[in-house]
Amino acid sequence: MHTPSVHLSSTARPAGQTPVISARGLTKRYGDFEAVRGIDFEVPPGEAFGLLGPNGAGKSTTMRMIGGVSQRTAGELRIMGLDPETHGPEVRARLGVVPQQDNLDEELTVRDNLMVYGRYFGLPRSYLRPKAQQLLEFAQLTEKADAQVEGLSGGMKRRLVIARSLVNEPQVLLLDEPTTGLDPQARHILWDRLFRLKEQGTTLILTTHYMDEAEQLCDRLIVVDQGQIMAEGSPAQLIREHSSREVVELRFGTERNAQVAAELEALRGSERLPASLVDRVEPLPDRVLLYTPSGEDVLTAVSALGHHPITSLVRRSSLEDVFLTLTGRSLID
Amino acid sequence: MTERLLVPLTPDASAARARTWGWWYYAEHFLLQMRRYGSVIVVSAIGEPLIYLLAMGLGLAAVIDGGQSTVDGVSYIVFLAPALLASSALMTAATEFTYPVMGGFKWQRVYFGPQAGPMQPWQIAAGQVAAVALRFLAQSVLFYVVMLFFGVAPSPWAWLQIISAVLGGLAVGLPLMAYASSITQDKGQFALVQRFIIMPLFLFSGTFYPLTNLPVALQWIGWISPQWHAAQLGRIASYGMQEPWTLTVLRVLYLVALAVLGWWLVWRQFTLRLGWIQGTPDRDARVVTPRAGWKRTRGAGRRREGTEPEPATRPQGRISEPIPPMPQITVRTGPFAGMYAGNIRAVLERGFLALKTNNWAVFASGFVEPVLYLLSMGIGLGAMIGAVEGPAGPMSYPAFIAPALLAVSAMNGAIYDSTWNVFFKMRHSKIYRIMLNTSMGPMDVALGEIGMALFRGAVYSTGFLAIMAVMGHLTSPWALLMLPAAVLIAFAFASVGMAITSYMTKFQQMDWIMVVLMPMFLFSATFFPLSVYPEQIQWVIQALPLWHGVELLRQLSVGVFTAGTLVHVLYFVVMVIGGMAFASARLKALFLR
Repeated sequence: MHTPSVHLSSTARPAGQTPVISARGLTKRYGDFEAVRGIDFEVPPGEAFGLLGPNGAGKSTTMRMIGGVSQRTAGELRIMGLDPETHGPEVRARLGVVPQQDNLDEELTVRDNLMVYGRYFGLPRSYLRPKAQQLLEFAQLTEKADAQVEGLSGGMKRRLVIARSLVNEPQVLLLDEPTTGLDPQARHILWDRLFRLKEQGTTLILTTHYMDEAEQLCDRLIVVDQGQIMAEGSPAQLIREHSSREVVELRFGTERNAQVAAELEALRGSERLPASLVDRVEPLPDRVLLYTPSGEDVLTAVSALGHHPITSLVRRSSLEDVFLTLTGRSLID
Repeated sequence: MTERLLVPLTPDASAARARTWGWWYYAEHFLLQMRRYGSVIVVSAIGEPLIYLLAMGLGLAAVIDGGQSTVDGVSYIVFLAPALLASSALMTAATEFTYPVMGGFKWQRVYFGPQAGPMQPWQIAAGQVAAVALRFLAQSVLFYVVMLFFGVAPSPWAWLQIISAVLGGLAVGLPLMAYASSITQDKGQFALVQRFIIMPLFLFSGTFYPLTNLPVALQWIGWISPQWHAAQLGRIASYGMQEPWTLTVLRVLYLVALAVLGWWLVWRQFTLRLGWIQGTPDRDARVVTPRAGWKRTRGAGRRREGTEPEPATRPQGRISEPIPPMPQITVRTGPFAGMYAGNIRAVLERGFLALKTNNWAVFASGFVEPVLYLLSMGIGLGAMIGAVEGPAGPMSYPAFIAPALLAVSAMNGAIYDSTWNVFFKMRHSKIYRIMLNTSMGPMDVALGEIGMALFRGAVYSTGFLAIMAVMGHLTSPWALLMLPAAVLIAFAFASVGMAITSYMTKFQQMDWIMVVLMPMFLFSATFFPLSVYPEQIQWVIQALPLWHGVELLRQLSVGVFTAGTLVHVLYFVVMVIGGMAFASARLKALFLR
């Protein structure tokens, strides 16, 4: 199957601005398993660009290739015009990286972690001392500055990793699942910080499993599955293109859901349940989903058919619906 | 952020700096890490030479041919000191080039921090090597200063042994680092390296006696051992040992060659593991023919897009037997309720299960170390030491040290299980927390864990006894009593060790256990009789538990019983009771607040 070639038709890119990242036919194979199957994308400067996809879709592999720490099998990749294969140090000097798995030095203090990391970039201590202090404030870790990393909470460690990635004022920040495992407070603080960076002109590349996060942060995103791009666009665009406006969730009890869904599916397109009202009926073990432009009308129609759900819910369609529609509901790993 | 600090370097300048100095940036990091356990490093860097020179240099010298003789034309301590200096680099290499590498790639993943920065993979390795080489240097200088203090480095060129020791450390360390960086799964390989490579290299390298004291069947280990070459170079520098200059040059070349080869392998491993060799096709994409029982299954056989929705009722379909009703979980009442639930078995079962999945070789080879000591010291030193006064009159040197080494191995096995293993379960894998979340009490956990330590101690002791029998050192039928006695010694050390471990919060603190054990081992009358020491020191030694173990087993090995025998046994019984009470109280305080 050939990759659906998605280009930047949807996002107006200021003329003359060279993309920060451009990938053409980017491919990564592990043995005979193809983790990334020749994907194409471009990211203009200052954009917040999201990579969405289930576990094992190839997001982290893509991130690692962009980060210049994993070799690509085929295709072209340019980071600010440079090839990470031949200009590794130059590329990595421009990036900030927040890996999926924290790799802090747990034996050092919070501040030393920042200082040591800055030294990797050859930055002088006269710059790093005040910079570390600033980053500690930014990450709200000032009080923990001289504590050992080992004793920090998960959220604090994550904030420290993010602060650490900013020590060289990167032009591009790579964030691999930055908020996984964080509590809502920590997530909101982090989003706020990322917004500020975006305002300063930093290009953000992030992967996430949280659709609300993608909706909050990303100007544009691609949905990746099995190493291929399934869809591309802004969050609103994707919802428009791949889902209905509203979703009705009906629960009839575990035994009856499938049966009712089948009946509704059979009636869909008839006069009592016109296809214009219900785009799709999706039976799930615990509930039945009806994709529709108008949830209230569906509820009326369903009860007119003599079905009385135990509970019913009408909600706006979300990125999560798009995601599940595009990548399926079964568990992947 | 109030004002914006401007980065003083452009990314290109930063990359250029990292290309030149990247290795040093990681060395800075590694040195900073070392500073965390700096106190242990300094104490052992000064304390170890002091203790070794005092215990072995003076103690052994007293028993070698009645303290009259010289070795290689110089006094024993002058002969010994340069080799000890070289061995301190060897021992440091064995730790600094193994566990931190594993930590870098696997445990803490520290290497992946700098990997994302502008430096290149090999520079990370080079930084670690540079930092450890600095540690070799500092350590050797300190050792040398202690030697000067004792007046045991007569030659004006003696300082040159600092350089040969650093070279020796790298000659062992770099190949070791290459091996460590090739390991992807931790199966206790480093314990095996320690037992089967480092210890033999140390013990059969003419450190404590001229290599020629050993039969050729063991001498060859010395010939290939970097430790022997580094020690000999040290002796040439330190007191002008005579040998053909070609041999000296060969020694230097051998050490340099090992270090260079090791570095090349390290360079390659780090480059491949943290990056790739430029201009080569992607290595990951190479299709490997799957080995039997091992297959890359990522993505294979994966179903998607509702091709086969998972049936909701699947779990029930798999259970073939009916489940009997759950029996009542009994809760003990009475004096120890809450402390002891009478379920030690569950802890032991878990211990044996874990043993099964762990590397059996690591477990089974635990008694190798004392056997190596017995071979090395018994044969090598035995050639210079005639008979030694034992509990039942004079005995051969190997027969004298064998029971003592059994006591030492019982102690070491018990300490290993009750400190390192317990520490890991307490702080890292949190196994005790899980156990105490059930109906089990802290006493069950403590007894169960100590039971495991005893099992290990009994296995090791049996192995060692078998070796003693083969070597012909079991002469009295009473000697069989050494087995239960060794288990008692293990019990005592295990229970106290566990109690002490409960106070440890960091890995580095564990090093202090070694700082305590090492002098106890050297000052325990293992390698020479207590009588070689001045009276005051004898009192101190007699207060320490290991001496009681050594004496107890030595008496049993020849079937001599005195009032002292009872005192030794009582000493350990008190240790057991005190340690057990202490350990379970600590577990309760830690987990059942």
